[in-house]
Amino acid sequence: MDQYAVEAVNLSKAFGGVHAVDGVSIAVPPGQRRALIGPNGAGKTTLFNCLTGSMSPSAGRIMLFGKDVTSVAEHRRTAMGIGRTFQITNVFHDLTVVENVLLALQGTSRRKWVFHRSMDFFRSNWERAGAELERVGLAGRASDTVGSLSYGERRQLELALALASTPRVLLLDEPASGLSPGERKRIAEILAELQREITIVFIEHDMSVVLGLADKVTVLHRGRAIMEGTPDEVKASREIQEIYLGNV
Amino acid sequence: MGVAAKVGIGCAGVLALVLPQFLNTFWISLLIQILVFGLLALSADLLIGHTGLFPLGHAALLAVAAYTTAILEVRHAIPTLLAAPAGVAVAVFFSLIFGVAVRTSGVYFILVTLAFGHIVWGVLLRWSSFTGGDNGVGNVPAPTFGPISFPTLSSYYYLALAVVVVCTAAYRVLVRSPFGLTLRGIRESESRMRALGYNVVAHKYAAFVVSGLFAGIAGVLYIYWNRFVSPATTTLVISAEATLMAIIGGTGTIFGPFIGSAIILVIRNYVSGFLVQWMTVMGLVFIATVLWAPDGLLGLARRYRARRARDATSPDMASLPKR
Repeated sequence: MDQYAVEAVNLSKAFGGVHAVDGVSIAVPPGQRRALIGPNGAGKTTLFNCLTGSMSPSAGRIMLFGKDVTSVAEHRRTAMGIGRTFQITNVFHDLTVVENVLLALQGTSRRKWVFHRSMDFFRSNWERAGAELERVGLAGRASDTVGSLSYGERRQLELALALASTPRVLLLDEPASGLSPGERKRIAEILAELQREITIVFIEHDMSVVLGLADKVTVLHRGRAIMEGTPDEVKASREIQEIYLGNV
Repeated sequence: MGVAAKVGIGCAGVLALVLPQFLNTFWISLLIQILVFGLLALSADLLIGHTGLFPLGHAALLAVAAYTTAILEVRHAIPTLLAAPAGVAVAVFFSLIFGVAVRTSGVYFILVTLAFGHIVWGVLLRWSSFTGGDNGVGNVPAPTFGPISFPTLSSYYYLALAVVVVCTAAYRVLVRSPFGLTLRGIRESESRMRALGYNVVAHKYAAFVVSGLFAGIAGVLYIYWNRFVSPATTTLVISAEATLMAIIGGTGTIFGPFIGSAIILVIRNYVSGFLVQWMTVMGLVFIATVLWAPDGLLGLARRYRARRARDATSPDMASLPKR
């Protein structure tokens, strides 16, 4: 059996008495596009935070390409190939757009420690940063500060940062939330163009994005994974419809 | 850098070289002090303006360097060439210890650095057999490198100026490097930096130690200027002033800390000579900074320039056709 790209085994995370994630097991094979759906408070973002290492789980294990990374620090997991975006846009507000991407590029290299040479010295990084901005459609705003970007442009930058760190597993927390239909389409196109070497796990409420991208869907509800299946199976499930309509 | 900035720096450079020929010792002494504390403020600003940490114990780092050099020179007759680097090394050693403060952030970082500063102050005051207690260490000889000595204030001014210029140039390279950009990323969002693969604590620790290096150099410059050091140098007031100098001049800039240093020290040393209420003047400057120039004087200049540029590019409202 091939190893999974990312795997959570019996993962739990409790905040005091609240079990945000309660014994979730999820295994995503390499190259798969996996959607995580579920109502607010289902534990989707908490699960993400445990996978990336920004939170440590109360119980359970996390595997990355077959290696147990449960106690590995967040920045080391990034070096091992995890990349993420944040639900609430988390970019470098007072820096320029291109500086944001440059930070993402040098994050996984030793270059971030270089202190005796100017940034200008590393031409190849500037070119790569330009290419990353081109991909998300922000090339024209490279030298503007993030503060002057629109909300949609910041979401695009959010995605550019995650992509620039060349992840093998990409975790996207509601990449299309709050965007206009046009911007949504643009994000969906960028994601659809990503090579299959990248495994994608994404949280999304917009069913058109989920159906367009996902190979498989996991439904979380009250901290538990209650269903796993193809997008069509999940869509057809009465139980899922009831959860979303609040009849449970 | 704009033409105006280049001309300004050029003029400042010429003035810095020529001015001491026309000034009396009071003003030369003040100029040296501005350089020394400007360098201390610059070192603190690596943490304030770039990393987003507010240290309140940097006077302690300056003081341990000053004490080390003073004790070596006075009691053991160690030559400057060894005593000066030893002072810097001890400051770096202390910042390696104090650096654990970076595991905290926000107000806790301020309090931990404040506590470290007070510990140093307390030890310097109480361990009088070694530190001289309240009397401090005095009679430090002029810095001497073999046959070359700097016995007069004006000759020492040029030595201090050279050291500060070299330090500032090195600092400028540092903040424009990938490491410098990393620090500004940490200032903006630590959680994003971790997600991008940065060991945030390690970078903050490194920044603290580098900051300690510059503070140590300021401490050595201080002792050869003042020829005397006492626990008074270690007080919270000095640490707070270093922070305020950076803020008044403009955090995250190269020249801001020196401008802030000049403003505060001129008020304290010159205005105090004819105005008993000089402390009030200082207070008004602080309040004015907070109200109208929270980015400091250089930040104010930058904002003014940005507005002028915007006005120049936007269409002239008066020339638009009336409705």
